[in-house]
Amino acid sequence: MQGTISCARNYNMTTTVGESLRPLSLKTQGNGERVRMVVEENAVIVIGRRGCCMCHVVRRLLLGLGVNPAVLEIDEEREDEVLSELENIGVQGGGGTVKLPAVYVGGRLFGGLDRVMATHISGELVPILKEVGALWL
Amino acid sequence: MNSTSTHFVPPRRVGIYEPVHQFGMWGESFKSNISNGTMNTPNHIIIPNNQKLDNNVSEDTSHGTAGTPHMFDQEASTSRHPDKIQRRLAQNREAARKSRLRKKAYVQQLETSRLKLIQLEQELDRARQQGFYVGNGIDTNSLGFSETMNPGIAAFEMEYGHWVEEQNRQICELRTVLHGHINDIELRSLVENAMKHYFELFRMKSSAAKADVFFVMSGMWRTSAERFFLWIGGFRPSDLLKVLLPHFDVLTDQQLLDVCNLKQSCQQAEDALTQGMEKLQHTLADCVAAGQLGEGSYIPQVNSAMDRLEALVSFVNQADHLRHETLQQMYRILTTRQAARGLLALGEYFQRLRALSSSWATRHREPT
Repeated sequence: MQGTISCARNYNMTTTVGESLRPLSLKTQGNGERVRMVVEENAVIVIGRRGCCMCHVVRRLLLGLGVNPAVLEIDEEREDEVLSELENIGVQGGGGTVKLPAVYVGGRLFGGLDRVMATHISGELVPILKEVGALWL
Repeated sequence: MNSTSTHFVPPRRVGIYEPVHQFGMWGESFKSNISNGTMNTPNHIIIPNNQKLDNNVSEDTSHGTAGTPHMFDQEASTSRHPDKIQRRLAQNREAARKSRLRKKAYVQQLETSRLKLIQLEQELDRARQQGFYVGNGIDTNSLGFSETMNPGIAAFEMEYGHWVEEQNRQICELRTVLHGHINDIELRSLVENAMKHYFELFRMKSSAAKADVFFVMSGMWRTSAERFFLWIGGFRPSDLLKVLLPHFDVLTDQQLLDVCNLKQSCQQAEDALTQGMEKLQHTLADCVAAGQLGEGSYIPQVNSAMDRLEALVSFVNQADHLRHETLQQMYRILTTRQAARGLLALGEYFQRLRALSSSWATRHREPT
């Protein structure tokens, strides 16, 4: 099957445990709604190329904070398509280009690893994560 | 003639530490050289292949030998003819102007030669160290230290040399002002300069990483003791905090809490990056190992591994980004005076590591 996108939904408050562990495969052939849905229904989602090491860094960092983010891994051949879909959703302050890996918090584009790292060090990240319900304590 | 040429073969790195003093001396030598018409002697010692200066020199000598006696011959008669006096004065002015221009060009040439010399010394040092650690291993080339071939890296090494010089100067300055009286505005500008200086290093490293990321990661541009603490091409931000903490004046409860949080955040970010690097190593190893045994051709494996390695540059940049943010957060938490003490402590820490490296290196060489 060409160009599948799998979403390992490791964390989602609204779904049951069993479902959340199941890797979610979705086809986005001409259907931007699926990407939008995944982004909107996860409090925190990391989107990046398949096997991307920087994605891994973001995920590890969030895990260290006690947040288990969903991870959407994109195959190379679908990258442009998914990126153009992403650019239509939840960009703060209107359009703009999305760079991978991208982190969405509360259905909106938060930024790349740079932003995650900077807000983490300045202590702003945890309050933001609490605000969207990704972190309780 | 001989006495002047000795200035141009200074003992190691004299030029680095006493540039102003050197210039004074060179200025003097310049004058005496002009009168002797022997300017080319020291030049050949230091920049043998610089044609431009040599041209200047030939002009000099002709002017010096042919022009001057002619003027002296006319000495007696000119005093009675005002127009001749005017002409002589004009000639004099012109000669002085030319002389100043030549001096300026000469000093500039010396400055570039000085930089070249520093660069050569650094290369020599490194070559010595490499020979020391690697021995004459057959795979010296495959280690990837191709700095002599890569202009980006050569530029970085030179810039880094200047960077260290400037850092030493800033540390001296901070040390002096912290012992004396200084108002907060002046201190703040010193602190901000020191911070900017670190940020400048990160910028330099980022462009060097584009040129040769393995070189930046190897830490070959640092001394051996600094290399011992190397983490993704630089210092660990959490190490930085460990070094700083004992040197602060009394911290308020809020500051203590903030520093604790920063320490923890730093550690978490470092762990995440370290795990990312491990993953990169795994995927890279998988890439290289993929394919059938005995295939003969390595091209597909090498190509896919090349793609994976692109990530290495982002790791160096992210690690520096983390260092950048940590320094900045530290500055936000601290007062200006505390930050000044912190930056001094950090600078002295690196200076001591550099001193340790050279002491260790000489200790090691003595027995043989």
